[in-house]
Parts: sequence; C-alpha cells; structure tokens
Amino acid sequence: MKVPLVLVVDDDPDILDAICDIVGGEGYRVVRARNGLEALERVRTERPDIILLDLMMPVMDGLTFAASLRERYGAHGIPIVVISADGNPARAASVGAQGYLAKPFDIDALLAHLSSMTAGESAARS
Amino acid sequence: MLGDPRGHEGEDEVAMESGPGPRETRDRDEAEREPDRAGERTDERGGYLGFVAHEVRNPLSTALWSAELLARMPAAERGGPRGEKLTAMCLRSLGRVRQLVEDHFMCERLEVSGLTVRNEPVDLREVLDGIASRRTPGSAAPDIHIESGVSVEADRVLLDRTLDALVALASRENAPVRIEAESAGDRLRVVVRGHPATSDALDDPRKGSPGEPRGRALAGALARRAAEALGATLAIDGDAFVLTLASAAYTPPAA
Repeated sequence: MKVPLVLVVDDDPDILDAICDIVGGEGYRVVRARNGLEALERVRTERPDIILLDLMMPVMDGLTFAASLRERYGAHGIPIVVISADGNPARAASVGAQGYLAKPFDIDALLAHLSSMTAGESAARS
Repeated sequence: MLGDPRGHEGEDEVAMESGPGPRETRDRDEAEREPDRAGERTDERGGYLGFVAHEVRNPLSTALWSAELLARMPAAERGGPRGEKLTAMCLRSLGRVRQLVEDHFMCERLEVSGLTVRNEPVDLREVLDGIASRRTPGSAAPDIHIESGVSVEADRVLLDRTLDALVALASRENAPVRIEAESAGDRLRVVVRGHPATSDALDDPRKGSPGEPRGRALAGALARRAAEALGATLAIDGDAFVLTLASAAYTPPAA
C-alpha cells in the first residue's frame, strides 16, 4: 500500500514543525522545504503526491515555485494547497492551486483537504 | 485701519482677464494631486497593516495548532517528548505574538504622538544591561563596550525601546552584536554593529524583515519611530546602526 507523500513548504520553522507533526500524525509521509528552491529539489528527488505551499518566502516565493513547477511538470502535475497568512485567496487561484487555507486554519480543515485530494491514493490511515 | 483683504481695487478683474497666475496654477495642481497622494498613503498604510497581520498570523497559527494537538493527545503522553516539544512551540509562538503586538502598538502610539516624552539623565550602560538581561533564551548577550557613568538626556522608556529594537535587528540570524559609544561634541553616537544594517530594515519592514522568526519583524519600524520621538537621529554607517542622541549630556568615562 502506497502511503501518500506530502511536501510542506514554509520558511517559518515552527510552522513547518507544526504542520509536519499534524500531517505525520495522521499517517502520511512528510518531507519539508524552507523555500521554493528547496521545494523544487524535493519535487525532483521525492515526487510528492501533494504540496502544501506558503507564498511569502525568501530565496524563492510560492508564486515563482508554482510557475516553475507548471513549466517543468505541466498544468496537471502535483496538486497544490496554498497555506498562507496573507488572507488573499485570489493569489492561490493565480498559482493554479487546487485548495487554499488561510492561516490560522483548523487542523481538521487541513486534514479534510488532504483526505479528499489523496483519495485516489491508497488510504494513508488504516 | 485694516486694508481691503481682496487687495487693490480692480485686481480681481485683471486676474480674470489674464488667466490664473503661477501661484494659483500651482495651488490648483497641488489640490488636484492631493487625492492621488491620499490614495497612495492609504495603499501604503493598507500594505503595512497587511504585513503586520501576516506576521502575527504565523506564530498565532503555531500557538493554536500546538495547543490543539496537546488537547487531543492522551493525558499520559503530554509529559513525553512530543508533548514537551508542542508545549515549547506553543510558548515560543505566544512569545512571538506578544512581541509583535507590543511593537505594533508602540509603533502606532508613536505614529500619532500618543506618548508623553520625559527627558532625564539616563545611564546608557544601565539601559543596555537591562536589554541584555531580557534577551531570548539561547541567544548571545550583546558585547557592550560602554562604561557605567556615560549618560544621556533622554526618555528612559523610549531609549530602552529604541536600543532594544536596534539590538534585535543587529542580532538577526544569531549575529554577534557589539555596542560602542563615541563622543561627538555635545552629542553621543551609539554604534550598534552585528548583522549588516540596511535602510530597508528601518524604512520598510516588508523588505527588511523577511522570515523573521523571533517576532521582531517590526523592530526597524519601531526603532525609527522611537528615535524620532526621542529627538535623536538614526542612520546607517557602513554595516552598523548609529543612534545619535540630540543634546546629550555626555560624561566621558574616567581615563
């Protein structure tokens, strides 16, 4: 059984730790990246099933990362859920994200997104 | 006897015949540009407040999530390694929120001149020692090269907040901080050196504080406003912040 792999991208170390704890605690496999550039490398080496993406980050922001991802893997590549503190869902739509969660979002809302977006994968929790 | 406020008889008619004068044209242009400037100020203000909200939401998120994860955890596990990690994360995040809220409201009060400034002789070393004692656990204390007895005429609270903010900026990414004072006539230059100083750090926190993990994203904005309220000047000299206190009563240390 393949357990879905979630890539969490955020420059805030506490946010990374917390989300990885939440997602990992539900049985998903998790990898992390602190900016868009690191995230591109993780995508290349790990091929995650879903990406939780912050937008405002140093080195390479989420918008640039999403554009690079589309360029390399096409428009129907890995699904993205934007997790942002900017309170602007329109920006999530602009990167072609399949979901948007405004920080601070409910833990259950995040898990519901993951569950529905990885429904095609084998169940993470059994 | 008061003169006619309209000026000399017939002047209005002359002005009407020859069209608006240079000053009237300038005034009209200014008036026409004012809505644009007001719009720019509103946009700038909106952008700044959006940045503040963004900075608060990140640690607020981790505080809420870690508290919720602790609440969902079986009681017996809360004392274990994961429980301890989540508790530490919650406390650290709340500390960041507290710092951001304090800095933000201090900035706002300074912006509207909402603080009473009370100048008095202040021992600079005493203030800096107080700041060093409040440093974040695990961070290095600033290296202070100022002896006791070096005093300035300043508002103690504002001086503390200004220097505290400058130390926060200089200690980014755990850079070691060195603080010195130089006499400059009847003024005192306080030089804070550490993480390379940039004007963005003072002028625009959105550019100057990306990814600030200690809740000090507003330190530059606070330092600039507090320095203004102190009547001091804040500048960048090379890679250091320099706070020059106006009308400082400088007592040189004994040789």
